[in-house]
Amino acid sequence: MSALRHIIYREWITRVRRKAFILGTLAVPLLFMGSMAIGYWLEQGESENSRVLVVDVAGMVSQWDERVESWVPICPDCFPERESLTYRFATEGLDDETFIASDFDVMVVFDDAVLQHHTAMYYYEHVPGFDLQNHLKTDLSQALERFKVKETQDLDFATYQRLKTQISLVGEDIITRDGHAVGRSLIGFVFSLFLFMQILIYGMHVMRGVIEEKVNRIVEVVISVVKPSVLMTGKVIGIGLVGLTQFVALSLLIWLITLAGSAWLEHAEVLKSSSDALVGLDLQTWIAGQSELNFLLDVNWSVMLASTALFYVVGFALYAASFAAIGAAVEQEADAQYFLIPAMAPLLASYFLAVMAIENPEGTLAVVASFVPFTAPVVMLIRIPLGVAWWEIAISWLGVALTAWLLLKMAGRIYRVGILMHGKRPTWRALFKWFRHAE
Amino acid sequence: MQRKPALAISQVAKSFRDHHALKGVNVQVNEGRIFGLLGPNGAGKTTLIRMLTGITAPDSGSISFFGSPLTREHIAQIGYLPEERGLYKSMRVGEQALYFARLRGMQRQEAESRLRMWFEKLEVEGWWNREVADLSKGMAQKVQFIIAVLHQPRLLILDEPFSGFDPINAQRVRDAVVELKEQQGTTILLSTHDMGSVEELCDEVALLNRGEVLLDGPVESLREQARDGRFTLRFRGTVMEFTVAIGASAELIEVLHPEATVGEHEVMMRLAPDTDIASWLHWISGQVSVLACTPWQPSMRDVFIQTVEQRESKLNAL
Repeated sequence: MSALRHIIYREWITRVRRKAFILGTLAVPLLFMGSMAIGYWLEQGESENSRVLVVDVAGMVSQWDERVESWVPICPDCFPERESLTYRFATEGLDDETFIASDFDVMVVFDDAVLQHHTAMYYYEHVPGFDLQNHLKTDLSQALERFKVKETQDLDFATYQRLKTQISLVGEDIITRDGHAVGRSLIGFVFSLFLFMQILIYGMHVMRGVIEEKVNRIVEVVISVVKPSVLMTGKVIGIGLVGLTQFVALSLLIWLITLAGSAWLEHAEVLKSSSDALVGLDLQTWIAGQSELNFLLDVNWSVMLASTALFYVVGFALYAASFAAIGAAVEQEADAQYFLIPAMAPLLASYFLAVMAIENPEGTLAVVASFVPFTAPVVMLIRIPLGVAWWEIAISWLGVALTAWLLLKMAGRIYRVGILMHGKRPTWRALFKWFRHAE
Repeated sequence: MQRKPALAISQVAKSFRDHHALKGVNVQVNEGRIFGLLGPNGAGKTTLIRMLTGITAPDSGSISFFGSPLTREHIAQIGYLPEERGLYKSMRVGEQALYFARLRGMQRQEAESRLRMWFEKLEVEGWWNREVADLSKGMAQKVQFIIAVLHQPRLLILDEPFSGFDPINAQRVRDAVVELKEQQGTTILLSTHDMGSVEELCDEVALLNRGEVLLDGPVESLREQARDGRFTLRFRGTVMEFTVAIGASAELIEVLHPEATVGEHEVMMRLAPDTDIASWLHWISGQVSVLACTPWQPSMRDVFIQTVEQRESKLNAL
């Protein structure tokens, strides 16, 4: 046990103190923010035309125009001509089927409630981009502001500021009636992508570590002191802990950045109430008021973080077992390609399944994949933010853990023979023989 | 003095598919001795060593370690320096040596203090905090040697420990090996092709060839056994005159040092069977001026070559 502890520590410490690890860990939040910025920028550049139906039940922003025989905006300036956005107005909404059959992309319902809560419901079949949502918010807020100003006599600046209105849009999937499903599955995808990357990166570390020990023959000294299975287990645990350390460090880093950013934003009074520009808000309250972001508050972050850590542990062990066996079978990384493709195929498949699951996280494919041990670690994380029963998570995790244990046992048999074999790359048949005759 | 066996290898056999790496090997290594394990490449030395270090197990036969069957629990009492050596490049020198000491169950403080002593002895003390990647080959080998001996093993297995060293450092390591034997009573199993080292260091040897022990025993006794009546003779005169003088009474095998001194020669020769050397010397002294006569003492290199060649020709004849 003591030897295993020393092996684990060596594998861990020699990696976490590397500059590449430290810089890499620090760089992830920056890259994350960078990719968000790029995503936003790309979103801005999206030029697809969207048709929006504004259902103005109370006649606050539109009026009947006899000339054109249709509802038109009272304030045309509030709804400027845009290449990517066309408004149509009506006093009655469409039922679900009619809406789906229509050529409208979004239907916004403008009723009396908008005056009281500054919140308007909007419906969609496909989630509108941030750009479109921003245009809707700006245009509708301006139109409502005009309406309020028109309704108010003796308007002074203070009154105007009080009347200044920011509309919040609350989206809802017309089929699932879940307003934040996609947002939350996106959060799940970020975690599963992270898990996929960690398994891949640190799995390769295991393989390279085994090859290094085999090629420079230090393995002979080590296995003359400890059993090969102990060495392999120590390597898998030690390198696995490096990935876990990075996960914990990143979580803490992002949490600290969020805390610091929140404190700064609050202090600088950057975050304002949508209903009253004079009222400063804390980050959480501000997020709650942002329809594009308030799904962040619906995610159970503790469960998400704990699940990621737990699925990483078993998922990494499952794939690292194969990587260790491959490392023991070859003497150079180039030779490993031959074995890597089939070993990595399930991992890559789980990534593609995860991408597909974003759209439909509760679809049959995603649900089945979240129980298949080879794809479960990556795919289950997409489902968890949407709310998965604890026993489903437990069964999925146990399935991965059991498979990992079996694979570690099998890999250990190949490892103990392969680590002392030198010469040409073995065939699959030879690996099978090593497995059979390892005892 | 009767010594206890540190290692008793009895009827050990090992095969890899169709290749019989060891065929019923019997070897006894006595406690506190330096035992040379000799043999050409592919003789089975590494396979045998790997069994002693617990890396592989014999198909049949038994190995006992200081009287008990060899188990993994004994591995902590064995030090091993393999022929093909390596270190972790991403670690510092002292840290790496400490890692192996801890792996063998040593306490940190004790390990550090012994390491400092060995680093000083082998003159690598300035390298404690340096990266392994910065070490020269010789320096790395010294570190590897220290790793093998640090935990004061009862049995130390050294596979080609002097290869790659310059003569000064090779001597430094030789001295360390002798010191381990004499001061700590360490039993040392030395696998090497360097016959000079074998003669200088080994008390006993075993010669392996094709998985079999061809001969074993104390070095001096093996050299003595290998004597075949040859002797060297130094005389004054020409080789031609000498050849004519000896006639058929002896066989001139080789002229060793032609005209080492002007007018003198040294030759290797063997008498005809049943010839008494004292009478022959008396006789030949009347024919030529004999300056010296020395019985030929074969070196371990000669013993090695002679034994392996004899065995190979026997096998070829079958």
